[in-house]
Amino acid sequence: MEILYNEIPAGVGSKGKIRLTGEDERKLLLNGARWAVERGYGAVSDLERIESGGCIEGANPDVISQKAYERGRAQQGTLGSGNHFLEIQHVDEIYDKNAADEMGLFHGQITIMIHTGSRGFGHQVCTDFLEVMEKAAVKYRIDLPDKELACAPFNSPEAQDYLAAMRAAANYAWANRQCITHWIRETFQRVFMASPRDLGISLIYDVAHNIAKIEEHTVRGKKMKLIVHRKGATRAFPPGHPELPDIYKRIGQPVLIPGDMGRASFVLLGTEKAMAETFGSTCHGAGRVMSRHQAIRQAKGRSIWREMEDMGIIVRSAGRGTLAEEMPEAYKDISNVVDVTHNAGISKKVARLRPLGVVKG
Amino acid sequence: MKFEILDISGDAGIRAYGDKCEDAFVNAGIGMYSLITDLDKIKEGQDIEIEAKGDSSEGLLVAYLNELIFRFDTYGFVGKRIEMDFFSLQHSAYYIKAKVRGEEFDPDRHERRLLVKAATYHNIRVQKINDKCEVEVVFDI
Repeated sequence: MEILYNEIPAGVGSKGKIRLTGEDERKLLLNGARWAVERGYGAVSDLERIESGGCIEGANPDVISQKAYERGRAQQGTLGSGNHFLEIQHVDEIYDKNAADEMGLFHGQITIMIHTGSRGFGHQVCTDFLEVMEKAAVKYRIDLPDKELACAPFNSPEAQDYLAAMRAAANYAWANRQCITHWIRETFQRVFMASPRDLGISLIYDVAHNIAKIEEHTVRGKKMKLIVHRKGATRAFPPGHPELPDIYKRIGQPVLIPGDMGRASFVLLGTEKAMAETFGSTCHGAGRVMSRHQAIRQAKGRSIWREMEDMGIIVRSAGRGTLAEEMPEAYKDISNVVDVTHNAGISKKVARLRPLGVVKG
Repeated sequence: MKFEILDISGDAGIRAYGDKCEDAFVNAGIGMYSLITDLDKIKEGQDIEIEAKGDSSEGLLVAYLNELIFRFDTYGFVGKRIEMDFFSLQHSAYYIKAKVRGEEFDPDRHERRLLVKAATYHNIRVQKINDKCEVEVVFDI
């Protein structure tokens, strides 16, 4: 864990190992994880196991502000902070043996989970476009209950530019996770002095947790093209969906649902019912029950690090505060959340993963 | 303290006060920096100049705080003192020009608190109450 913590930049004020030139950053925004693989981060075979092949078409580097370029330059290949994490886990329960076999999951198997996104780059895109949208809302006479909900009609130039910028941010995120995946593999190879083949660290899936996409859905019996926003939601496409790669056509799309650092995370599968009832979507994670400050107050005088160690979980964290904010009881029990989606039929459980080691920002 | 931290599930906010709005804006900036790190450990060794403009008082507050966040997230600069060289909340120009004194964040010497990603418009408030000014802003964490 110590070596992983040193190899994967995490936390407030951490610097990435990659410095992007302007031209590089443009290519990255257009090509996402493909850019990373071309640069030697990971394998071509990873790409088919990433949502949209790790690259969403229609990104436009020309609509990105200079500030966003600057902010993104040194943050590629960094974990970030807050609820972002890197975990080493083990499979302790299989619910669907057939699907688990297809994914290469079995009882006792070690898994690694990465939760991060487009970092400061994506935030700068959001900040920049909030300003654009605020003006657009006035221009198109949209009455807003909260300024934070600023928006524009889909076919307006403002919205189309935003869509192209958001796609660039999605590509930044896919590249980011791909670089981190690569360094994790390298670290394991070094520590265990084993070849990639011996270790067999293969990607199960990479799914966006915060994105808007144009998709075809059936609404009142009619096929329609819709823009589906998944904010705090995860795509959960059923078996046979045309967007899925061949390896998952038969069982459906793997869905990764992270829980808090003490309890568990889950692998699920997308379903037809999700397609019919929730526009091919399921939950995002556990969700907080305590605000950050409440959690810090509750953690006063306690050593969360020690408590986790007593549970058999090694934690490395850049910030002391982060650990308190992220302590298990600050979150809902992920098992209950996942059971709701399973029983509702919008995604079905395949495996439960228990944390062994955690890197927090 | 001329500011307080607001308890919001999942995010964090600041309420800042001042005799004038100029002061409340300064205190909001310092309050935000205190979410990022322990300001007692920050030295005033470096000066940066920032500019921000908006279409309203609230818009200016968001733009100004986002500029400070940008300087931190991109160049690691943390401020300890903010001096307004120009501050206008006139309808003709919502504009700030300021000098920020502080230093570059060093994870070995400085405490890591929250990674503040952006200032938002959610429940934002810039208000004059009996000759005093009070501002409130929620950050995306």
